[in-house]
Amino acid sequence: METILVVDDEQGILEALADLLREEGYRVLTASHGREALERMAELRPDLVLTDWMMPVLDGPALIERIRGEAAWAGVALLGMSAVDVGALRVQYPGIPFLQKPFDIPALMRQVRKALDGGGRASLG
Amino acid sequence: MSALMTASEQPPRPDGRVSTGVPGLDAVLNGGLVTSGVYIVVGEPGAGKTLLANQLCYHQGRAGARCLYVTLLAESHARMLANMRDMAFFDPALLPEGVYYVSGFRTLEEQGLPGLLELLRREVRNHNASILVLDGLVQAQEAAGSSRDFKKFIHELQVAAGLARFTALMLTSSNGPTVHPEYTMVDGILELRERTLGVRSWRELQVRKFRGGATLTGVHTFRISNEGLEVFPRLEARVRRSQPPAPDAARVHFGIPSLDDMFPAGLAAGSTTLMLGPPGSGKTLMGSSLLAEGVRQGEPCLYMGFYEAPERLLHKLAAVGMDLGDAARAGRMHIVWQPPAECILDVLAHQLLSTVERHGIRRVFVDGLSAMGQAAPDGSRMSSFFAALTQELRYLKATTLFSLETPRLFGTVLDMPLEVGPSAVAENLLFLRHVELEGRLRRLLSIFKLRDADFDPSLREFVISQRGIEVQPPFDSTLDTLLTGLARRASGAHP
Repeated sequence: METILVVDDEQGILEALADLLREEGYRVLTASHGREALERMAELRPDLVLTDWMMPVLDGPALIERIRGEAAWAGVALLGMSAVDVGALRVQYPGIPFLQKPFDIPALMRQVRKALDGGGRASLG
Repeated sequence: MSALMTASEQPPRPDGRVSTGVPGLDAVLNGGLVTSGVYIVVGEPGAGKTLLANQLCYHQGRAGARCLYVTLLAESHARMLANMRDMAFFDPALLPEGVYYVSGFRTLEEQGLPGLLELLRREVRNHNASILVLDGLVQAQEAAGSSRDFKKFIHELQVAAGLARFTALMLTSSNGPTVHPEYTMVDGILELRERTLGVRSWRELQVRKFRGGATLTGVHTFRISNEGLEVFPRLEARVRRSQPPAPDAARVHFGIPSLDDMFPAGLAAGSTTLMLGPPGSGKTLMGSSLLAEGVRQGEPCLYMGFYEAPERLLHKLAAVGMDLGDAARAGRMHIVWQPPAECILDVLAHQLLSTVERHGIRRVFVDGLSAMGQAAPDGSRMSSFFAALTQELRYLKATTLFSLETPRLFGTVLDMPLEVGPSAVAENLLFLRHVELEGRLRRLLSIFKLRDADFDPSLREFVISQRGIEVQPPFDSTLDTLLTGLARRASGAHP
């Protein structure tokens, strides 16, 4: 079973995403900010990190940077999501796919599958 | 420059103030929020709290400030941003550096107010924010173990705001009392509300408390459009307290020789005249004559009306020899047309005064004072409102003529359709009326009052033709009760 770590500071969104992904057959971990996400990853290495961008404590960009900088997490797929215009984020963070909030469920599932199948891998450097 | 700021203009900002970016609100707050202050915005759901806070953030973000917007069980950030996208102030380029959204709800749930306070302090520091919005204060209040805990939270946030030099805006729904005792600790409380009378509703803002200077007291109207919030400070509250400038020596005429002969000195420039008359008595043409003469004299003029669209008005005037179309197209004659439905009194005052000020208008004709009066749901303020309005027009050196429709066509009673005495509105008083005489209706004109000038008090018939208005010689002196509209021969007189 593939494991997805969902990171979002908005509790309602976090719980809704977790439920949807579980219904699709994924194992789901949750965290409400980047530091909590790193703690979860230390316990169980996920196959995909689906992360919000604007969050307290440790935000999305900082989380991505930490994941990319850790050899143990090389190969973990990354998928960003944000209410901010993701067009600019795609330019700023090449190689990471982004979901524009608000998104619909089929789009979410397609992007998750695509990321797990090879798009947006974390790599050193 | 006029001392009365229009809603779109902002007063000079004193040091240590934060501009809200909401037109008119900084004028109400005497320059904006005080830097490092902690404020509460209270109002029912839909009152405009979130919009106000976002408008402030994007305004400050555009100026280079960093704003942190923390939500507690509010709408999702994605939905909030989707709702902002059509707003003129919204700029996605300011995200996330200029305006940063985070949720503090889970922290509040798990760690209570101490955890939330820590989150706010840390995120303000991390983002170097000078503006903090906490959307959903009611959740924090409910999470507090006691009133004392909540007061402690507010106190510690105030301390943090002072140390870190950020200004905080906390948004809360009004459940029960609008202002809780705990709220009195903050530096200011702004209340937003929507009021309804019959099928009509309007929005109001009131500053319930403000530390650090005087504000414009009382209730102010605001509206929400794609431009965001716009506050229209209550005219009476912002009117100048000083004496108007000394009357101008210049005199103003209607440009109708036979009428001007009735008061050869003319109207004092900058004075206000009220013209009373029933429907069809010639008020619009008479008032427009004053403007047509102004245009001839090279003076910028303004017609403000409620019932006739500009094209229709110009067509009607052209039919009696008053061709103001070229002047209107050339910007020498301005026309503000505001259909009377759903008008807001202070918005009308803003439209009128800002147009006068912007274009240096010298002659104003407000055609339909009663429509203006109907824009006020509360008639009790009419006297003070019109006194303030006429005073501002005097400051702006505009000679103003108001027409006011009297409801009765004939009769011995003269009704004033406004809860305001004529002397509150005008120094000069003209009266138009129909009179039945010798089997036909005629138009009658009389000057009731003219300040600082002699005038002919006789009752005159006036005729409207393709050549315009012509005032006739005085009526036959044997006729009585002309002003009732039903003339009769004085007893003993023979035709």
